[in-house]
Amino acid sequence: MDDLRLAWKNLWRNRRRTLITLAAIAVSITLMQAAHNLSFGVYASMIDRGVRAGSGHLSIYRQGYLQDRDPKLGFNPQNLAAEISRLAGVESVLPRLYLPGLAQSSRDSRGILLTGTAPVEEYRINPFLRKLPATQMIREGNLRDALVGQRLFEELKLSFGGKFVVTLQGQEGELASELLRVRGIFTSGIKDIDRSLVLVDQHRAATMRGRPQQIHELAIILKPQADERWLLDQIGRLLKNHPQLILVGWQEAMANLADAIRLDYAAQKFIFLIIILIVTIGVINTLLMSVMERIPEFGVILALGAPSWRLQRMLLTEALLLGVIGMLLGSFGGSLATWYLRIEGLDLRYFVSSSLEFGGVVFDPIMRADWDLRWMLKMAFYVCGLALLAAWYPARKAGKISPAGAMRHY
Amino acid sequence: MLLTLALRNLWRNRRRSLLTLSAMVASSALLILALGVFSGMFADMLASGTEQYHGHMVISARGYQEDRDLFRTFAPSDINLQTLEARPEILAAAPRLRSFGLISHRTQSEPAELLGIDPGREARVTTLSQKLQKGEPLHAEDQTGALIGSGLARKLGIDIGGELVILTQAADGSIGNDLLTVRGIFASGDRHQDNALVLVQLGWLRQLLVLPNAQHEIALRLGEPLLAAPLADTLATSLPAGFEVLDWGDLLPQMRDAIAAYDVSRLIMVGVLYLATGLGILNTFFMSVLERIREFGLLMSLGVRPWQIRLLVLTEALLMGLFSLLIGVSSGLLLTWYMAQVGVDLSDYISPISYAGGTILPRLHAVFIFDNFFIPALLLLLISLLAAFLPANRAAKLHPATALREG
Amino acid sequence: MALIELSGIEKIYPLGHQQVQAVQQLDLRIDKGEFTVLAGPSGSGKTTILNLIGALDRPTAGEITVAGVALNRVSSRQLADFRLRKIGFIFQAYNLIPVLTAAENAEFPLMLQGIDKKIRRRKVIELFAELGIAGLENRRPLDLSGGQQQRVAVARSLVAEPAVILADEPTANLDSQRSADLLNLMQRLNQDKGLTFVFSSHDPQVIQCARRVVSLLDGRLLTDQQVQQCTI
Repeated sequence: MDDLRLAWKNLWRNRRRTLITLAAIAVSITLMQAAHNLSFGVYASMIDRGVRAGSGHLSIYRQGYLQDRDPKLGFNPQNLAAEISRLAGVESVLPRLYLPGLAQSSRDSRGILLTGTAPVEEYRINPFLRKLPATQMIREGNLRDALVGQRLFEELKLSFGGKFVVTLQGQEGELASELLRVRGIFTSGIKDIDRSLVLVDQHRAATMRGRPQQIHELAIILKPQADERWLLDQIGRLLKNHPQLILVGWQEAMANLADAIRLDYAAQKFIFLIIILIVTIGVINTLLMSVMERIPEFGVILALGAPSWRLQRMLLTEALLLGVIGMLLGSFGGSLATWYLRIEGLDLRYFVSSSLEFGGVVFDPIMRADWDLRWMLKMAFYVCGLALLAAWYPARKAGKISPAGAMRHY
Repeated sequence: MLLTLALRNLWRNRRRSLLTLSAMVASSALLILALGVFSGMFADMLASGTEQYHGHMVISARGYQEDRDLFRTFAPSDINLQTLEARPEILAAAPRLRSFGLISHRTQSEPAELLGIDPGREARVTTLSQKLQKGEPLHAEDQTGALIGSGLARKLGIDIGGELVILTQAADGSIGNDLLTVRGIFASGDRHQDNALVLVQLGWLRQLLVLPNAQHEIALRLGEPLLAAPLADTLATSLPAGFEVLDWGDLLPQMRDAIAAYDVSRLIMVGVLYLATGLGILNTFFMSVLERIREFGLLMSLGVRPWQIRLLVLTEALLMGLFSLLIGVSSGLLLTWYMAQVGVDLSDYISPISYAGGTILPRLHAVFIFDNFFIPALLLLLISLLAAFLPANRAAKLHPATALREG
Repeated sequence: MALIELSGIEKIYPLGHQQVQAVQQLDLRIDKGEFTVLAGPSGSGKTTILNLIGALDRPTAGEITVAGVALNRVSSRQLADFRLRKIGFIFQAYNLIPVLTAAENAEFPLMLQGIDKKIRRRKVIELFAELGIAGLENRRPLDLSGGQQQRVAVARSLVAEPAVILADEPTANLDSQRSADLLNLMQRLNQDKGLTFVFSSHDPQVIQCARRVVSLLDGRLLTDQQVQQCTI
């Protein structure tokens, strides 16, 4: 306690120097927190949108399907969808089929991915369909309704209610053609998807494939606060009766997105490391200066009988205090910035005219931050630890002082 | 004289000067490295979008690129390739024809884009037909040869020499149906190209589609891809009516935006880093000035004027800035050189990442861009001077008598 | 057994590339309750001897025992502890810590010993009253006069009830009036409380007032005389 008081007083010996150092620490932390929380929020929303249109937070496939997405590897889900929907934290379970094929209109042909879905649930969950009027959504049952991507619609010169033919390969290897009708169009913002995605009812797709009961994927969408670990366990148990099925997380099923986020975080970490290095060197400099100018005083303290480690402990306390105050100030600023960025967000539309795709998911043009508390706490810890580390060299210098020699400088 | 004083003053408190210097060197060197690697990623992205497949610029009938309408064709005589290549900015031009169909091998089928190319010309514009994982490029005489992407090859279970069945809709409404032999397999890292693209002979595709003497676009390779936009405008005026020129920014507007956004975030990075560095310099110079109050008082009493004192402090800062710039930039150069030559292969940890319509490959490397060295260097000097401004002022405002009494 | 015993003491300092023999073959005994001054010009070794007695330094050769502790044989840690508990220092320039108040400065040794705040504060208030500086507890050294600073330094030297009080050139920075005040104070403490004082000084005022004068020259003991105490 006494050490704390002494450290506090010593810190304010040279107010300007301490304030400048605190400013360096605080400003850096504020900026890093704001930047990180912003990406955290943006990625959280991207992941959410990505999994809803894609593989879900968790997904079930037939063993080996994920290697090449071979349409021949389907499975019969039986009651799984219903059983899993009942688990706490599960928002929806979407069945899907993915069949590559060729779409032909009277004008042209294009390669497409015919996707079989459960229309009601899909409409509820999939962000691609958010702007779609309900009347344009495909209807349940083995009908010819199809939803096509905006670009595909234009490229094939289709019309609402108009017909087109889809040719694909059935399970046995033969080619099958079917007539479909355009019920509605959607825009995802991703060129490749708007050019190639055709949504139909799962039963139509399954029939075309030649295996009426089978699907390729069960996409499990979770509620925001779901306990993923518990769910993994529970679903794992349900799958015990289906030995040929596997459960994977979105990181594996949507590796493009997962890796994109990882790369960005890595780049961020590198820049942050440089910032922290600079600030730490600044702290070492400050502490060193404050030690060098106090050498005669240290001599007195040693002469009075303080053991050398006591002096060093004093210095470490000063460093820690500096780190903690800087960290608190910085976190305060960072929290303010995060709070603002969460409510107001950063509107990218001033800078970027088109919609931007990253890792296969479209960026929400309004970037919003979110609280990554675990990271913020880790950062706080590191800063305090680094402050202590910065004191190592100055403390070593102080430890080498001999009282007699030091006092001669008075 | 000023210089000697400045140098000696810096040397006086070596430890402090060295620590501050190390911060300045570290910030500039590492920043240069980071910028080099990031620019490398963007270069990859741009290349994946342009050099592999799209080309830097494309000439086609108005509206073709929007919907890729099969019928929006033009004749080779409409636009003279030699005239195009005569322009100094244009390195090469290649004609193409495009269609979509179903590709089968034995019992596997996949939809894919069929791009009819002139192999000799195409090789000078894009890299896809040359950078093969396996097999050989198409030769002019080989009319039924095809090059396919590695993903597509895997899905079809096909290898060199294997037979492909092509099914597509021809211009006269009939179903075009033919056989091709796989001569080579390419792996670009781009999802679309690797999984859904087949390169075929232009002549063969014309026959299949019943589109004699037709092509859809002319792809161009430029000497300066980043100057594509102004060139496109110039070129447009020299073309016949009904044609349009699109540069890669038009073809890939996302990428253009992403690269523009990067330029902005580059400046922000530099700003933030140098702010932290600047605060450190500020502290150092305040200390150094306060220690020497008595000395400044002495100098003033000898007749040295305030502006000269200010100049002295600023010179010291400038010297530190120059020094750290020298060491920082050379270190940055070395690090960038290493990353450019050797790089870091993260293929074990991450897969290729799609961004803004292009692909970033897990093999990270750096590229040399003048701005990536110039901006950090210039700003380092500026920040050194700025940071020393306040302390220099303080020193200049001293009262000789008061100063002498102190210390 | 004398309170302070030095036998065969030698001290050699490195100074740049040279070796300086500060003290040569010194024997000295000081008993409890003495009021001794080590006199001599600068370079005579008086400060060195004081440093040795105060365990601030170690002899190059010889034995030194203070208050029963053989200083040349114990570890640095033990020397620090010894200084804390057995020695009170009064320095040439008062050596007060500028960021601490007068009371915090005076109680510093007790704080190092880990003694409870209330207890040490009580002790300091007592001492301040005795030394005539009551009420100055919360002032910073910058706000005290020279004379007041010196008394705070004296209080600090007494607060841990040491075995011996060492003062190195205590009057070097004082005018004659303040010097007289300080010496009076120390004499009073010596007589009333039986505290042992050892000074180093070349100030004739100080030398005149000691009861015992040990004269040194070039690190050697010249004379050792009992002197008539003066009253100023």
